[in-house]
Amino acid sequence: MSKVNELEHSMPHINELIEPLDESTFVLQEIPITRMIDRFVMAVGGVFNWIWVILIIVIITNVVLRYVFSQGMIELEELQWHLFAIGWLVGLSSTFILDGHVRVDVVHDKLKYKTKAWLELIGLLVFLFPFIGFVTYYSIPFVELSWSTSETSTSANGLSARWVVKGFLLFSFALLNLAAASRFIKVIVSLKNGSPINNNTV
Amino acid sequence: MEYELSHLMAMGLFASFIIFLFIGYPVAWLMGGLAIMFTAISVFSDTYFDTFIGLDWGYSSIMVARIYAVMNNWILVALPMFIFMGIMLDRSGIAEDLMTNLAKLFGRMRGGIAIAVVFIGVLLAASTGIIGAAVVLLAILGVPLMLKHNYSPQLACGVVCATGTLGILIPPSIMLVMMADQVRVSVGDLFMGAVFPGLLLGALYAIYILIHAWIVPGAAPAPIDAEPVSARLLYNVVLAIIPTAGLIFLVLGSIFFGIATPTEASGVGALGATLLALFRGRLSIAGMRDVVQQTTKTTSYIFALFVGATAFSLVLRGLGGDEVIESALTGLPFGPQGVVIVVLAAVFILGFFLDWIEITLILLPLIAPVMISLDIDLVWFTIMFAVCLQTSFITPPVGFALFYMKGVVPKGIDMVMIYKGIIPFVLLQMLTVVILFNLPSIITWLPSVAYGN
Repeated sequence: MSKVNELEHSMPHINELIEPLDESTFVLQEIPITRMIDRFVMAVGGVFNWIWVILIIVIITNVVLRYVFSQGMIELEELQWHLFAIGWLVGLSSTFILDGHVRVDVVHDKLKYKTKAWLELIGLLVFLFPFIGFVTYYSIPFVELSWSTSETSTSANGLSARWVVKGFLLFSFALLNLAAASRFIKVIVSLKNGSPINNNTV
Repeated sequence: MEYELSHLMAMGLFASFIIFLFIGYPVAWLMGGLAIMFTAISVFSDTYFDTFIGLDWGYSSIMVARIYAVMNNWILVALPMFIFMGIMLDRSGIAEDLMTNLAKLFGRMRGGIAIAVVFIGVLLAASTGIIGAAVVLLAILGVPLMLKHNYSPQLACGVVCATGTLGILIPPSIMLVMMADQVRVSVGDLFMGAVFPGLLLGALYAIYILIHAWIVPGAAPAPIDAEPVSARLLYNVVLAIIPTAGLIFLVLGSIFFGIATPTEASGVGALGATLLALFRGRLSIAGMRDVVQQTTKTTSYIFALFVGATAFSLVLRGLGGDEVIESALTGLPFGPQGVVIVVLAAVFILGFFLDWIEITLILLPLIAPVMISLDIDLVWFTIMFAVCLQTSFITPPVGFALFYMKGVVPKGIDMVMIYKGIIPFVLLQMLTVVILFNLPSIITWLPSVAYGN
C-alpha cells in the first residue's frame, strides 16, 4: 500500500498538468510595443477577474435577504447580471492574449510555422477585425442612445445608469481590438523573422 | 419547398463554417467573421447583380442587441458560478482524497479501482463541465493506479474516457444550463431530467466493469496485498465523500425543493466550494487569484462562442436557414419519432467535429421549434440530445475525449488501445439511448415531481 501512497505524492496537481496543454505551441515574436499592449490588457483583466468573487457575495446576500429576512432586492438581482456581463466581456481580451479561445487544431498542429502564421494573419484580417469593426460601429449608437435618454432599469426598484453596462460592450471590444492589433503586429514580425523558439535555440 | 438564392447562401454559410474550421482559427471569431462576410456578399450581390437576397447591414446590426441579450441574461449568470465551483473543487484536492480512499475500499475486488473511478466521475461531475478537464483529471488520478495494479490498459482508458464525459450530462452541468436557455425550458427541469439518465449510465458502466473483470480475470485483477477493510478506512471514506456529496446535495437539493433558483444555487455552490478549499487549507491569495483567472478564461471562451454563434445564427436565420432545416425535417417520410431519430443521428455525427457549445448554440435553437410543432416533449428531447452529444465525444476515431486522453496517458499506451477500450462503453451509451427512447419516463418523471409539485 505504501507504493500507492508514494505514487499519490509524486502525482502533480491537476492544474500543473492542464496548464502545459493549454499553452499553444504556436509562439509568436514579440516586440516592445506588443509586450506593452499585452501587459496592459492583462493588467486590466487581472483586476476584473475578481468580479466573480463580488458576484458570489452579491448572490449570497440576495439569497440570505430573501430567505432569512424574506426581502428580495431587485437591485441585487440586476447587479448580478451586470457583474456577470462585465466579467466575461472584459475577459474576452485577456483570454485572447492567453490564446484561450478554442480552435480546431487537428490539421493546424501538422502545419509548418510559416503556414500557421499566414493562416493567423488571414484569420485576423478576414474574420476577427471585420467582426470587431462591425460590432463596434453598431454599438456606438446603441450605447449613445442609452446615455442620451438616461436609460434606467424597467423595474421600479432597478438600477439606474443602464449605459454603464452597455458601455462595457464598447469598452470590451475596444480592448479586444487592442489585443488583436498587438497580435497582428506579432504575426507580421514572426512572418518576417520566423519562430522565436528557433531563433533562441539556434 | 423551392429553394431560393438566399437558401443556397444559408447552406453555403454552414458549409464554409465547417470547411474554415480546419484552418484552426478560433471558432468564435470564425463564426462572427463569417456572419459579416456573408452579409457583405449579400449586400454586394443585391446591389450589383440585381439579386434579391434581402440581407442587409441594418438587419445584421441586430447583432448588437442580441449580444446585449446574452449580457442581460440572468439564467446564464449560473455558468461562471458553476465554473468557479468546479475549478475550486479541483483545487481543494478532494478528488485525490476520494481516489485514495475509494481505491482502498473497492480495491479488494476485481475491477474495484475502475469502479472507484466511475464513482468519482459521477460524484465530481459537478466540477467537470468541461470535457477536457474532466478526462484529464480522471486520467491522471486513475490510469497510473489501475496500470500499477495490472489492469489492462484498454479497460483503464475506456473507463476514464467514458466517465470523464459524464460530467457534461450529470447536473449541475453547464451544458444543461446553456441548453435550457436555448430551448426555453427551465434549468431545473433539465437538471432533474438528467439525474436518472446519468445514474443509469454510471450503473451500466459499473456492471460492465464487474462482468468484464469476472469473465477476463487478467483484465482487472484484485490486488494480492490488499489492506483489510477496517473501521478506520470506512471512516476515511465517509469523511472524503461527505463534503462533495454534501455540496452537490446542497446545490441540487435546493433546486429540487424549489428553495433556490439554479442561478442562486450556483452562487451557493461556488461559496461552498470556496469554504471547502479554505477549511482544507488549500486556499491562499495566490491560489484565489489563479482560480478567478481560470474562471475568467473558461467563462470568456464560452461567451466568445456565444457572441460568435449569436452573430452566425442571426445571419443564418436572415438567409432562411431555419426554413431550410424545418422543411428538410418535416419533409422526412417518417412520423415524429422518425424525425427525432434522424436529428439525434445528425447530432451524433456533428459531435465528431464540433464542440457541444457550437452545436447547442447554432443547431438546438433551429431544431427546438420543429420539435414543438411535432408535439415532442422538449425536456425529454433535450436530454436525448445531450446523451447523443456525449456519446459522440467518446466515439472513435475522432471523439474529443479520446484526444484529451491521449495527451495525458503514460507512454506505451497508443491510440489503438484507447479505441479498443472505449468501444464497449460506446455500445453501452447506445444501449442507454435506446432505453431512454423507449422509456421516456426515466427522464420525465423527476422533473414532474420536483419543486414541491
